[in-house]
Amino acid sequence: MNGIFAAVFLISAVMLLICDPEGFLPALLSGGEKAAALSLSLLAVYCVWLGFFKVLEKSGLAGKLSRGVFPLAKRLFRTDDKEAATLASCNLSANFLGLPGAPTPLGIKAVEKFCAAQNHYAADMLFVLNATSLQLLPTTVIALRLSAGSASPSDIFLPTLLSTLLSTLLGAMLVMIFCRKRKRKA
Amino acid sequence: MKYVALVIPALFLALFVYALVKRVKLYECFTEGIKESVPLILSLFPYLAAILMLSELFEQSGLSAQLTSFLSPAFRLLGIPPEIAKLVIMKPFSGSGSTALLSEILSTYGADSFIARCACVSYGSSETVFYISAVYFAKIKYKKLYKPVLIALAANFVTVIFGCFLCRFL
Repeated sequence: MNGIFAAVFLISAVMLLICDPEGFLPALLSGGEKAAALSLSLLAVYCVWLGFFKVLEKSGLAGKLSRGVFPLAKRLFRTDDKEAATLASCNLSANFLGLPGAPTPLGIKAVEKFCAAQNHYAADMLFVLNATSLQLLPTTVIALRLSAGSASPSDIFLPTLLSTLLSTLLGAMLVMIFCRKRKRKA
Repeated sequence: MKYVALVIPALFLALFVYALVKRVKLYECFTEGIKESVPLILSLFPYLAAILMLSELFEQSGLSAQLTSFLSPAFRLLGIPPEIAKLVIMKPFSGSGSTALLSEILSTYGADSFIARCACVSYGSSETVFYISAVYFAKIKYKKLYKPVLIALAANFVTVIFGCFLCRFL
């Protein structure tokens, strides 16, 4: 990440220096502004879902859910940590259902737990599964198509589902192949 | 979209009724959960800010445009319409930026055109990799980030090719 950040930042900065030096600071400021606005809206979303998940946890329902999915999650993430596996599976199901904003706080907690246990394989796996988009219904796209006057806004459903499935499988396979060593180290 | 509208209230209702049956102190418990949201946001904020500044620079400097025109012949070879190259490049950096691009493509080429359909599938089947990596790994002092990030980028890119290919038939 350091490398990518430095490379993109420096090249952009040099280009701006040559073409449009006055645009440099406004660009940074507008990035900061967006971050501030985004943080506020994320805060709102996290309030709702973290409250929800705390109730889920305290009511004992989370424990029951985890007993159901643990055998599967255990193999997928190669972990014995029941709590982290539950968080990760809830994250994946929230992703799949397309509940806006719900997966993120769960995912962050799960990654933290995995890394605390030195299980970087699981953290990588969870991240890649999240970053390859695993969604049943592409709601944003359908809404956009609808507003753009599409005759059949949902006809991209099948190709999107197939390709997102492919990307998720591919991502998972690549993690299995390339991230294996780290587990042994741990 | 309708199903989301039903799922969320149903989830809340089912959980809260169950929690009441189990004699959970709902109010205390709910607020306790909310308490965690502020530190979470605080820990994410620096990474969000850096990534968003970067994506803003990337866009403003014309680097994304340069990269697009540089890569579009290669994209064409892979069956990706050059018109959506910018979207494909933008998506890993910024969700809002690529959403704006997508609606631009939809209105320019018509929502049911081949290009627009490719754009929709590419958008829907890929994710904002850099953003997600910033958020998920914010709290972790993690040296080898490049591996999962590269894997996610590669998987997303292959998917775009596959999605555009599918759009020719489906």
